[in-house]
Amino acid sequence: MNLSGAVGLAVMSAVVVAWGVSLVSGYDVVADVNPEHMNLGPASAHWLGTDHLGRDVAWRLVTASEVFVGPGLFACLLALLLGVPAGAWAGWVGGLGAELVRYVFTVIASLPRFVLVLLVCAIYGSSVWTLAAAAAVAYSPAIAEAVYSRIATFRGREFVLAAEAHGVHWARILGWHLLWVNGKTLIARHALQLFAYFLLVETTLSYIGALEAGAGFGVPEPTPSWGNMIAFEWGVRHGNQWATWAPALAIWVVILGALLLADGLAEGDHA
Amino acid sequence: MSAPPPDRRRQLALLSALGRRFGAFVLTLLGAALLAQVLLWSAPGDAADLLAGDPELRAALVVEMGLDRPPHVAWWAFVTHALGGDLGRSLTYRPGMAVLELVQPAALRSLVLVVGALVVSLLVGTALAYVTAGRRSLGRRLLQAVSIAPVFLMAWVLVVGLNEWAFELMLQDRIVRPSWFALPDQESLLKWALAIGVLAVGSSAVTEVHSACEDELKAIRRSGYVDAARARGARLWPHVLWNLVPPLTTIASSRAAFFVGGLVVVEKVLHLNGVGAMLWQACRLRDVPLALGITFVAAAVVCGARLLADVLRVTVDPRLRTQT
Repeated sequence: MNLSGAVGLAVMSAVVVAWGVSLVSGYDVVADVNPEHMNLGPASAHWLGTDHLGRDVAWRLVTASEVFVGPGLFACLLALLLGVPAGAWAGWVGGLGAELVRYVFTVIASLPRFVLVLLVCAIYGSSVWTLAAAAAVAYSPAIAEAVYSRIATFRGREFVLAAEAHGVHWARILGWHLLWVNGKTLIARHALQLFAYFLLVETTLSYIGALEAGAGFGVPEPTPSWGNMIAFEWGVRHGNQWATWAPALAIWVVILGALLLADGLAEGDHA
Repeated sequence: MSAPPPDRRRQLALLSALGRRFGAFVLTLLGAALLAQVLLWSAPGDAADLLAGDPELRAALVVEMGLDRPPHVAWWAFVTHALGGDLGRSLTYRPGMAVLELVQPAALRSLVLVVGALVVSLLVGTALAYVTAGRRSLGRRLLQAVSIAPVFLMAWVLVVGLNEWAFELMLQDRIVRPSWFALPDQESLLKWALAIGVLAVGSSAVTEVHSACEDELKAIRRSGYVDAARARGARLWPHVLWNLVPPLTTIASSRAAFFVGGLVVVEKVLHLNGVGAMLWQACRLRDVPLALGITFVAAAVVCGARLLADVLRVTVDPRLRTQT
């Protein structure tokens, strides 16, 4: 793995650590409201200072990992379940069956991802898990198409024909030799990209949703999300600058980290 | 029966290639409409729940809005009406207004953004590639790192930065209040330019065009016909540009979906009243016919862009006519 891949791995590890810390810490986002300590700058008591309700920015930053790490992993799992078997089967059998499967995914891909996510949230409600499922469905065509073309390329290779001639069961060839040995990096890369995409969608919806009155989309206050943290401090004059810039920076760094790790995995993966 | 003459055969190949692509376009669009109907049909509760508490009124609304029909019937009704230019009527956004009437002016405003972003990304990407091809450049890395940031974050940073900067200057009496201040509230050319720029960079169109052009330029500069043209003292750029057409059309069409998705965000953050902001509002108000209408138009734009790119490539590149 190259340098950028290592940087990406470090960032993703930090995210997982933050998630773990948040889960065991029991930090209460509501009880932390403390008007006496509002708009403080960074100090040893509050590493990143406090927002205009006196809540600790660093803790909110860490706690916000709960709204995207768990659902993000769920989105990855769901998208893989939708995309990988379908794509692999289509690549293996080819012909009319493959065309049908690809047609279904083309139809899903014909709706812009963000539009599909909005539509699903409007219909099924805007909990973060619904959002994750919507992002997974919207992203699944990319995974299915990638797996399809990988399997279809390998289908006619000599080692596959040799294995078939030796009487190896097709499920073993497809599942082990093609999907695992020759496809795991590709699949992991797409999972990471979907993770980055989910963070993007979640923060976007939380940001825009928080700027509007009434029921909207995304994660509502007081549950912290990096998106609604930015929106919540919008227009606070003489506030703590870190309360807005820290989540903004965090979004960018984590998306960059996931994509760098995906790029790092791409090295040495040849079709 | 004798084989048709070569000219005729070539025309037939072109026609059948175009026909296949048009068929795929129609099928995909029909599928997209069906997908939307199935999503609606499987929804817990429906639009009537939001409008009526009274069971009698609710039952009447269900029949009136056609919610009691199975998805394939609703789908067929939607498709046949859409062919006649009728996308239904808005329920809650502007109750009773025809969806097409609502969407048309908003879509025209958004079209300015999309076309602007497309032109900007093609021009900037190609120009950058021309400068950086064959070199390692820090600028390229930087552009890639910036373009992965979410669209809303980019728009937010620009808006906050410009507003704060102008505000400070006004406080110090260095400038009078600019006509665009405060940025999201005032209608101004600067806001539109910002939206176009954010859309071009944020949907990764600039970087895609840049890297594709760079690869293509490297290959073209090494190729024999460029040497030949150079040896004869002919101008190079017509050859280079012509060979950039197929990859650029592919990118432009593949970015269409990202432009449409980015529209929603850019229009919400910068308060531009286009079709993206309308979709957001329709989804918030559970205005299903309007949201469906906009989604259908979005799918039509995405598929239409793909069809257009296919037609262009098949016309430019004869090799594609024989492939399936």
